[in-house]
Amino acid sequence: MDARLEDPIAAGIAAQSDEAAGSRHQTLWWRLASIALFCGAWEIAGLVPINLAFPTFSSTVAAFFEMVGDGTMLKAYALTLQPLIIGLIVSAVLGISIGVAMGLRKSVEWMAAPIFIVLQAAPVAAVIPMVTFIYGIGLTAKVISVCLLALPVIVLNSYKAVANVNPSLINMCRSFLGSRWQQILKIILPDASPVIFAGLRLGISAGFIGIILAELLITPTGIGDLITYHRAVANYAHMYATIASVIVFSAATLSVLQWVEERWIRPEKKGS
Amino acid sequence: MDMRTTGLKGSLMAGVLAVAGFAWSPAVSADEVDVAFGDIATVESLNFLIAIERAKERGVDVKVTFFKSEDVAAQAVVGGEADIGVGTPYALIQKVKAPIRLFYQMSALRFFPIVNTEYYKTWKDLDGQEVAVHARGSGTEAIMKLMAQKNGITYSSISYVPGAEVRAGALLQGNIKASIVDSTNKKMLEQKAPGKFAVLPMEGVNATDEALYANTEFLTEQAEDVQILVEELLKTWREINANPAVVADLRKKYNLLADLPAELEPEVVPYYEESVPTGAFPNNGGSEQAAKDDFEFYALAGQIEGDPKSLKVEDFWTFDPLNKALAKVGTQ
Repeated sequence: MDARLEDPIAAGIAAQSDEAAGSRHQTLWWRLASIALFCGAWEIAGLVPINLAFPTFSSTVAAFFEMVGDGTMLKAYALTLQPLIIGLIVSAVLGISIGVAMGLRKSVEWMAAPIFIVLQAAPVAAVIPMVTFIYGIGLTAKVISVCLLALPVIVLNSYKAVANVNPSLINMCRSFLGSRWQQILKIILPDASPVIFAGLRLGISAGFIGIILAELLITPTGIGDLITYHRAVANYAHMYATIASVIVFSAATLSVLQWVEERWIRPEKKGS
Repeated sequence: MDMRTTGLKGSLMAGVLAVAGFAWSPAVSADEVDVAFGDIATVESLNFLIAIERAKERGVDVKVTFFKSEDVAAQAVVGGEADIGVGTPYALIQKVKAPIRLFYQMSALRFFPIVNTEYYKTWKDLDGQEVAVHARGSGTEAIMKLMAQKNGITYSSISYVPGAEVRAGALLQGNIKASIVDSTNKKMLEQKAPGKFAVLPMEGVNATDEALYANTEFLTEQAEDVQILVEELLKTWREINANPAVVADLRKKYNLLADLPAELEPEVVPYYEESVPTGAFPNNGGSEQAAKDDFEFYALAGQIEGDPKSLKVEDFWTFDPLNKALAKVGTQ
């Protein structure tokens, strides 16, 4: 007799996990099909061509490998990642600290909330030229641009996360005579962490927008330079390849981050 | 509906939307002449605006749209959203075989290499030093490279700082010590910090700064309109070359740049008085030789690929409208 029939619970779990694996498998295929459809449409659009300056998908891929081959792409990323990483570290550390402080203390909330709410609503592309008037055209200006975009999202998410911690958990902590520090470290931060992490991910994607805006609007270095240069000399395949690469890079970074979060930091989230 | 069909429909819809979005390109009305200008209107574009007003007086319905950059303006012309563009789209013509031709040279490139006299005084002093130019592949970079070649020097590095006003600001702040700016900013530097900066001599750099170009189809279909515009350009340029002060009167007459700040008004005439003697505004709207000079220059700038001597002028320029107009107003 089949083992599954002997133990209905085990059989149920096995069937469920089979189903889950099957559905994951299918999802993957549909996703790949969607990407293939997009690339196919791009290729056809380039062959028509819908615009003389619109390259085919294949020529864009070729341009990408050419730039990887001659080292310009790597060099560009090295230049772009520098202000991006500095800006993101500053935004993450400052953002979470400020946000948590805002959630914990009314006085900090009153002082900081308006600034970050306004900053988040502001069309930052319009503010970036102003950054150059104060911070010049170097690394600082670019780091500030990254922070301008990343910081408000991280701050406001952390703030909302802490402000909306489940009150019954806090009451519980109080009933067990937990100190304020225990309350913060053992109840508030763990309960707020999903939203804080979501804020971090949003902040990182905003940081990508910030650095590309800065490189297009302040001084063209790195990726911004590749985009402007290839546009100026009409190497459109190279321009599209650069833009596509930064989109893929940003998406990949966020996926890796989500994976790290699920795998190492909050394993309980996996599968939920 | 299960996940699969939703996913498929979603993908299909995205594909259809993408293709539809790509394929949409608005048509330009037949009689109007849409000019795509790759910059905001400033004192420096007054001569062009005057010529346009005069073409309008002769019944050509010209409409000017101002774009953020020359690249965007060029895209508008290639995409059929504008008829005439302003700039030097050599790369676009050579690399994507865009069916556009240049037909009128409006101005020659006039830039001024500027150094902070605390550090440098001559071209030789710039050997092994850093210079700041507009952008990679730009005219300013080509000028600085050309002058380095001529003076037998090499720069340690070239940094890119877009916008002459930004470079002028950085020169004033001391962030950069050697750069290249346009005449407006050269004057600003001379006024704000007399004696602090020196202009390095520059000879033998001949290249087009701004030219007019259009789709070949438009050039044949609306040949009459184009000819009238070219005639008015020639006449206006010659009038300004003979008497730069006329720009101020014509600006009033046609009410151009009406919102120009009062403090900028006294700069109108001096700009033209300074530019005219340098030959910035050609009297005859360009020539084969000018086109060949451009090939040399823009090859050095990285805009044009291959040996500039092997390039054919007719692949980039058409002189029909200019020749017809010159036949009417005469060559000088």
